[in-house]
Order: sequence, then C-alpha cells, then structure tokens
Amino acid sequence: MKVDLEHLSRLANLELTEEERKLLPGQMEKIIDWVGQLSSLATGEEEKYHQVDFSLRLEEDEVQPSLPQDEVLAMAPEKQGDLVKVPRVFREK
Amino acid sequence: MKYVELGLREAVDLVRNGQVKATEIVESYLSHIESVDPEIKAYLTLAADRALSRAREIDARKHKGRLAGAVVAIKDNIITRGLRTTCGSRILENFVPPYDATVVERLEAEDAIIIGKTNLDEFAMGSSTENSAFFPTRNPWDLERVPGGSSGGSAAAVAGLEAMAALGSDTGGSVRQPAAFCGTVGLKPTYGRVSRYGLVAFASSLDQIGPLARSVEDCALITSVIAGFDRRDSTCADRPVPDYLDGLGNFQEKVKVGFLGEASLKGINPEVASSYLQVQELIAGLGFEVVRMDFPSWEVALPCYYIIAPSEASSNLARYDGVRYGLRAGAAELADMYVKTRTAGFGSEVKRRILLGTFALSSGYYEAYYARAARARQAITAELQAAFRRVDFILTPTTPEPAFKLGEKQDPIAMYLQDYFTVAASLAGVPGISIPCGLTGNGLPLGLQVLSEPFAENRLFKFAFLLENNIKFKNNMYGINTRGRRKNEN
Repeated sequence: MKVDLEHLSRLANLELTEEERKLLPGQMEKIIDWVGQLSSLATGEEEKYHQVDFSLRLEEDEVQPSLPQDEVLAMAPEKQGDLVKVPRVFREK
Repeated sequence: MKYVELGLREAVDLVRNGQVKATEIVESYLSHIESVDPEIKAYLTLAADRALSRAREIDARKHKGRLAGAVVAIKDNIITRGLRTTCGSRILENFVPPYDATVVERLEAEDAIIIGKTNLDEFAMGSSTENSAFFPTRNPWDLERVPGGSSGGSAAAVAGLEAMAALGSDTGGSVRQPAAFCGTVGLKPTYGRVSRYGLVAFASSLDQIGPLARSVEDCALITSVIAGFDRRDSTCADRPVPDYLDGLGNFQEKVKVGFLGEASLKGINPEVASSYLQVQELIAGLGFEVVRMDFPSWEVALPCYYIIAPSEASSNLARYDGVRYGLRAGAAELADMYVKTRTAGFGSEVKRRILLGTFALSSGYYEAYYARAARARQAITAELQAAFRRVDFILTPTTPEPAFKLGEKQDPIAMYLQDYFTVAASLAGVPGISIPCGLTGNGLPLGLQVLSEPFAENRLFKFAFLLENNIKFKNNMYGINTRGRRKNEN
C-alpha cells in the first residue's frame, strides 16, 4: 500500500533526510503490506490493551516530595531564571 | 584467582562471609573490561569511580546486603541518578538523570555494584544492537557477529565476563533473543511483575525489565530483589514476591510440556530445529509428558506486534521535543525547533517505527490496523491461556537462527523476523526465560525459551534450573573470552 510519507512525517514532527526520502517509501510499503496480513485473520474478539489481570492499587491523595526544582531545571537546554526558555511560539506578521 | 569467572551467587557468598573484598572484585572486573571491551564494546558508559567507592563503602560495613559485591551492568534505557543515560540515541546523548529507576534503587539497596551502562539499539528498537547511534556491540563468541538486541550490550557484558549479571528490557524479545545469541540466561518477567519506573518507555503495554545472568540461579536471585509493587508505577502488580531461590533445585512435579507443531517451525535454521528435537527427547527422557501443540493465531503475532509496538512508540517518543531535557536544535520558532530536534536526534529505525505507528493510528487506518491488531492480540492471548490449561510449560527455540553477522540484515522485515518466537509471550504478558541449550557446528550458542502462566516465575525458575542442569551448558561458558580474543589476534 502506498503511504503519504510527507503527511505522516508532518504528523510526527519529523523531516526526512535525502537518503530516507529515497529508501523509506519502499520500506514502509513493504512493512505495511506485511503487517496487513492481519486483515486475513477473522477475529470476533474484543479489543484489549493490557493482557494480565491484576488488581491495581489506588494511592492515597497525599502530598509526596517531588524532584528538586534546581535539578530538573539543570537538564533544560536553555533557561531564564526558574523557567525553561523556548524560541518564540508565534510568527511575526 | 580470576574473580570475573565467579558466578554471582558464589561471589556474593564470598563477600558476605568476608573472604573476599568487594573492592578486589570490582578491580578485577575493571581490569578485565579494560582488556576486552575495546573489542566487544558492551559499554556506553563505565562507572568505575562510582563502583569503586561503592565497593569500599560495602567493605567497610558490617551488615552486607543480599547482593553484596555483585557486579551488575545496566542497559542504558534504565535511568541512573548522576550517570549518563543515552538510550543509544543522539537525542539523549548528554542526558544525566536526576533520579534512579526503581530497579536500580532496589539493586543498590541490597549492595549490588553498578559497573556501567550497556549499549542497545536506539530506544530498544532492534535485534542486533547495530541501531545504537554510537557503535555496534560484538558477540563475545564470535566478534564478527552481533550479540542480538536490543539488550545486546547487557548480554555481551555477561557473556564476555564484563559483569556478573545485567538488567535489560524486553518489549518483543529484547532480553531473551540476545541472551540466546550470547549463551546467557535471560528472563522476561510477567507484565506487571517488575516496576518500570525509570525505564524509558518504548511500548508501555509490552515493556518489562528483566535480568541476564550466567545461570538460572543468578537470574532468580536478581528477580527476587527487583520484583514487587512500586507505588510509582501504577502498572506494577501488588502481589507478594517469593524468594525465587527457595527450593530452586527441588522440582518434583510431573508436568506436561508443550512443544510447537511443525506448522510453527517452518523456515527455521536446521541446527535450531535439530537442537529443539533433542530437547524434546530430553524432556521425554526425564519422564515428562510431551504435548505437540498448534497455535494458529501465533502465526500473526509478529505483524500484530509490529503494529502495536510502533503505535505505542509513536506516542511515547512524542515527548522528545527539545524543550525540557535532551538535545535541542537551534531554530527561530518553537514548531521548527521540535521538527529540527527530532530530525537530528532520531536514527532511521526509530523514525521508521514512529512513522509506522503514526500511520497505524491515523484517521482512516486506525480501524484496519491498530484496532485489528488489538483484537488479534486478544486472540493470541486466549490461545496461550487455553494452552496453559493443557500443559504446564511451553518450550520453543528462542530465535529462528543463531547469531548473524554484523551488516547481514539490511532489510527491516528480515530483522523483525528475529522476534518470531518471542513476541507471543510479550503480547500475552506471560513470563519467558531463555536458557542456553547447545552449540551450533560453528560453536555459536543456541537458546531455549520456556514460557509459563503469568506470575508463575517461581515454577518457571525451578523447571529452567532442572533443564539447565540436564543440558549442562553452563560448563562451556568460561572459555568465551579467549575464544573472542583468539579470533581477533589471528
């Protein structure tokens, strides 16, 4: 099956390199046809997303210590004061 | 005495009895790593200072934990406070986490010593460790071959005697397949048995952390330490953890053992097939009942997996945007920064899987791909559950072939076929252990996978221990490194 890679990469916030633009369309088509074997399987089953049944324990709504702010901020590529800094969000007219 | 040849359990006993110092063991490992790792390349980051100071602290203390002196390597998608954690990706190349994964905390609480972070396929996506953004790891049994993946660095470290044991993560076979390729034992526990807090998410309905070690016993000991409820992972089961060493050598049950019928074995390597037949004879010889089983929906487990795992990955990896941590590419506007960061930071296989998952979840295709895969998953699970009403264990080869050469598999689908025997257990959430079961004519190890019902690791270890003792592969292991080195010297 042919896929619209331009559209998919926009959805995924990715750009493709020259080489990927050459190789990926063929690879993706093959992979999608291959996983498409599934359509031949008759399944009356219901969808299920986790397979093992075990009781999940609910936590009390209590305040717990979280990571120290300075250590979390130390990971940020760019910051200003106690804030993570990013490039401008809106385009100028 | 070369401490690197000691099994984990033996070494821990010596340290706890005060016969050997943890420091001596760590020094012995560091010098061995220095001599073999330039060839094997199992480690992305070595934690020499951290390991030595930890060992000195343990030596100085009277009370010593259950893993005192155990030298353990950690796959580099499991985060470690203050120790670089890359996921084998440029996007996290300089990422130093501010906290430890629960499994790391639990190992260290019992005085295990973290020796370093091991190589992997980028974000655990791959079966050869060639998808690491940094370098490929080599198989200690034959340096021209891959160690498997994605936990290839962990498996190579254990096989190359560069660690007593290691942690890996298994989403579709990423502990079991490299364990098989490198002649080590590797466990994927039941989904929910081990906390994933601090494991970098790939496919959240499948990911599990599991140990790789030189024996079933060592795997059982590590699992006893890392398993159990964790309030920080809401998918972690609130069930008691038995001591998996308890009664390990005492398996008296008369069990029924399931083997795959011929339909599920077509196309596999002839040496793998004949070793699988030998195991059937062994099982029958031990007085267990052999039951041939067909798994019609098992046939679609691979395509099902390769829809579900990439779909979840496309969502999980959306967090790498250059804002709060990791790589950031320069751009004048925020939206461009996201795209440039992700484009520069992700390798080809990761991009391929993100795009595949984006496709399977996209409008117009969701029903035909993702929803259908979720239903197929249900059918596969039902089939395995039904099988476990008839038999106690299911045995399969771990991999369709022994370790292949670096660069041999250029076609993505050929690489995906590596997971043929392992994905069903992942989709169904049941535990699986791979133990070495023989060598090919070329001297490459083969793995046997043993599956059991969910949360039956206790029995799984006992049965695997019995098989291990009858297969007697363990004894072959200590020549591994000289084999690798000799080959390279020629």
